Amino acid sequence: MAVTDAAPEIGGINSGARTVSGLAGRRRAQARVLPYALLAPSLIFLGLFTYLPVIRVAIESLYDKPHGLGDAAARFVGGDNYARVLGDPAFREAAGNNLVYALGTLIPTLILALAFALAVQRSTRFNTVLRTVLFFPSLVPLVAAASLFFFIFLPGVGLLDYYLGKIGIEGPNWLGNSDLALWSVIGLTVWKNAGYYMLFYIAGLQNISRDTIEAATIDGANAWQRLRYVILPALAPTTSFVLVIATINVLTSVDHVVVLTRGGPSNATNLLLYYIFQTAHENFDYGKAAAATLMSVAVLLAISLTSMRVMEQGGRGAT
Amino acid sequence: MRLRRRLAPALGAALLAAMAFLWVTPFLWTLVASFRPEGAGHADMASLVPDLDPTLENFRNAFDSGTFGLYYLNTVIVVGGVLAMQCVTVSLAGYAFARLRFRGRNLLFYGFLLQLMLVPPALIVPNLRTVVDLGLYDTLAGVMAPYFASAFGTFLMRQTFLAIPRDFEEAAAIDGAPWWAVIWYVLLPMARPGLVAFAIVSVTTHWNEFLWPLMVINDPAKQTLTIGLASFTLGAESGKEWGVLAAGTLLVMAPLAVAFVAFQRRFVDSFVFSGVKG
Amino acid sequence: MSVIGRLSAGALALAIAATASLPVAAQTKIDFFFPVPVEGKLAREMTRLVKVYNDSQKDVAVTAVYTGSYDDTKLKAQAAAKAGKPPSVVLMSANFITDLKLSGDIMSLEPQLQADGTTREKFLADFWPALHANATVDGALYGVPFHNSTPLLYYNVDHFKEAGLDPAKPPRTWVELVDAAKKLTKRNGDKVERYGFLMAEGYDYLGWLMSAFTMSNGGRYFNETYGGEVYYDAPSTLGAARFVEDLVFKHKVMPQGVTEAGGVSTEFFAGKVSMILVSTGSLSFIRENMKTPYNVAFVPYNVSNGVPIGGASLVLFNGQSEESRQAGWKFIKWLSSAEVLGGWSRFTGYFAPRKSAYEMAEMKDFLAKNPDAKVALDQLPFARPWFATYQTVAVRKAMEDEMQAVLNGKKKADQAMKDAQKKADELMRPYVEQTALKLP
Repeated sequence: MAVTDAAPEIGGINSGARTVSGLAGRRRAQARVLPYALLAPSLIFLGLFTYLPVIRVAIESLYDKPHGLGDAAARFVGGDNYARVLGDPAFREAAGNNLVYALGTLIPTLILALAFALAVQRSTRFNTVLRTVLFFPSLVPLVAAASLFFFIFLPGVGLLDYYLGKIGIEGPNWLGNSDLALWSVIGLTVWKNAGYYMLFYIAGLQNISRDTIEAATIDGANAWQRLRYVILPALAPTTSFVLVIATINVLTSVDHVVVLTRGGPSNATNLLLYYIFQTAHENFDYGKAAAATLMSVAVLLAISLTSMRVMEQGGRGAT
Repeated sequence: MRLRRRLAPALGAALLAAMAFLWVTPFLWTLVASFRPEGAGHADMASLVPDLDPTLENFRNAFDSGTFGLYYLNTVIVVGGVLAMQCVTVSLAGYAFARLRFRGRNLLFYGFLLQLMLVPPALIVPNLRTVVDLGLYDTLAGVMAPYFASAFGTFLMRQTFLAIPRDFEEAAAIDGAPWWAVIWYVLLPMARPGLVAFAIVSVTTHWNEFLWPLMVINDPAKQTLTIGLASFTLGAESGKEWGVLAAGTLLVMAPLAVAFVAFQRRFVDSFVFSGVKG
Repeated sequence: MSVIGRLSAGALALAIAATASLPVAAQTKIDFFFPVPVEGKLAREMTRLVKVYNDSQKDVAVTAVYTGSYDDTKLKAQAAAKAGKPPSVVLMSANFITDLKLSGDIMSLEPQLQADGTTREKFLADFWPALHANATVDGALYGVPFHNSTPLLYYNVDHFKEAGLDPAKPPRTWVELVDAAKKLTKRNGDKVERYGFLMAEGYDYLGWLMSAFTMSNGGRYFNETYGGEVYYDAPSTLGAARFVEDLVFKHKVMPQGVTEAGGVSTEFFAGKVSMILVSTGSLSFIRENMKTPYNVAFVPYNVSNGVPIGGASLVLFNGQSEESRQAGWKFIKWLSSAEVLGGWSRFTGYFAPRKSAYEMAEMKDFLAKNPDAKVALDQLPFARPWFATYQTVAVRKAMEDEMQAVLNGKKKADQAMKDAQKKADELMRPYVEQTALKLP
């Protein structure tokens, strides 16, 4: 991906009047330093909180320091921690769960976001209300949503079971059934995020020129065909953008697991970040947590780089 | 054929209404339950029908359980502080990437990209150590620090600046304006929709953040809304006072809700304007 | 005297007067972390108690920090310590004391006892014997018990009458439990309208109740004097695991899946389950919210009565200054005095760890009016230490994850116990290799 070309140096065009060498020389020196000076504040914080941690984690992952037995027990183990992580059934389960979680949230969320956007794209009063309703869940902290859903999922007397009971269906144990728990968490996530991505799609839809759509209608395309051949392709950049954000979200937000299930029952809702959190803070196995962090980070990078590449290409295609 | 044409939109509208109702149900319950008098056990507590005898007791208990005023203040400080710093860093960096040519630009750009993926929560363990080393443990500054640089914001601003025609800047440069005047007087006003979009994303994200503040903050006087609320839910052994929980949740959601309803049009418009499409 | 002499004398007098009016020592500020199992009301009460203490004296200013569940409190306290800002006093789950001592997080209270001129034996004499083991590690006192519990069987009196059972004769053995539960379970075709029995199955709780069943099955569950051994695959534990499995799948009196404590009590209130196994710590909560008559009973046994204690103790964290430590100890002594403990017990339903608390008039009155509060006390002769080992949480979870799989029908009890033992052994291996297996 190439950074698009910038304008010629600012200040390089002299005011024309005064001294050529002194002022121009200073200006040019200033201009050379300028970009780095502008980037400096960002780079300081990036350095401290993005690069440094990665380095630290990389180093720490090579050591094993068993809990509470003193610093003397720390020893260099090289790739041992990585082997232990890969061999840990809890890790494998967390990774597997994360995959299911990713697919289970991304696909419905994107479809719903698009569907909602299509439904409410026109700025009528009624649609404004609908947009508010649909977007609202994303305004709520995940912790708050999780607390609510704890009640919703409560066996017997919770919201779901209560109304299911009224129509004669006995609700399963939404959070306590190890087959179902992950899907309940997925349900919560979809509810929370669909409205947020809907906004992006609304913006994307409003950027499609009316003429294109009218032309298609004149050519005899019905609603489905318009959707498939005109609208969806035009929305490709939006979709890639949303996909990147959503994917990052999948790997980095575990607030609901912390509050609702704590990884249970028996690791059925354990996700990668939560596994790391547990390994570090409950088992105090920092070497192993570091190794797992590094591996997750590598996955994050791989996914994001590929999607960024796709997005750039899509963007280039559209413009 | 004609029937289908009339049926389809009707079905669509019905489906939409059903979805909207489904979406709003949790909040409906929160609203109803927070006014329902105490009674953790009765079988109808999930009912969406409001009680005939509403009470403010739950809110009173929620207030007693936590100093919500303080939580609000801390959250505002964190969110405001982060946004203020971010505006500075992303405008400067966005400008650098959009308008200036310099050695290592591509490399630095990829470097920024890295931060987009390596969000602070993923690096929670080492970042906590760094915060401690900097002496920022148990401070609001420690909560804010990792977010002062924002790759997302930088990209957004770069995008926005790129979309602004150069004529204005060139005119200003001819008039002898230095770089900072160009940014402040020419570019930023034109980039306002982008900044607004970014601000909305930033505020929402940090208002709702939980895991990181939880690890950094101990002092109850510095806790944010999410931590305060979580202590309601994270209580261990037995039962829960659902009414109080609902009331507490409502208190946390309220400001954002009000803000959203008031600024809804601006919200959506800024997303459109910023050309957030890729 | 010369002018200068008089001036200097005056200055000296002023200085002495000034220092005399200064407080002897500046007020020590300390942090106190506390979890409470039922949030809301109990957290408010604890905050109120701390305020009472602060108002009652000038030496110590305590900041009370509510830190969620027992597990979360441990997490936060250890994280704060790691960050160099440890809390002074923490109300810690009684069974974490061993783990915390082994990891060097808490300090021995022996020096404080010596400074006060007392010994461990004398100090602990006023506390119930069952609590001594969890408060001491390697023969030294590390924690002061604050509130304690045992599991209790709560049952719905109306349901008993309806099913033809005598509410005055609750089930005492596992056989009687299954029998009663079968009679109490109501079915409507395929749907179960009411279950006979339910226990809390979330993290921390499930391990506790499993140890209760094991102890009622004649077993030890873990090595009380050495933190490197657990007996998950011993016959007594295996029997308990199979029993729980049978309740769900063979006798079908308990729902499948995992139900958290919050859900268990909610179902009890709603009349959807007739008997539940939860802590005495929930007694007040249940008393307040149960609209129909209920009663409590001992945990049913198979081989002999045996229950673990639960509850929390006050500890002093390492890494604090000398003043902070003295201040913390003062606070601990106040918080664990008989009056405060008695009041807290009446408010919560936990039983007070001091025998003298039960000599007081208010307590005698209270027990007369609320006989259900006496049952936990009566069960005390059968109480045993709470499960505590090296890496307690992880070793506990090893059991809980397996049992949760059993409750969900994913594993059979036999296989689950084998796997749990294997996982636990692996977790404790570093400690074992440094202690029992470290030979000259």
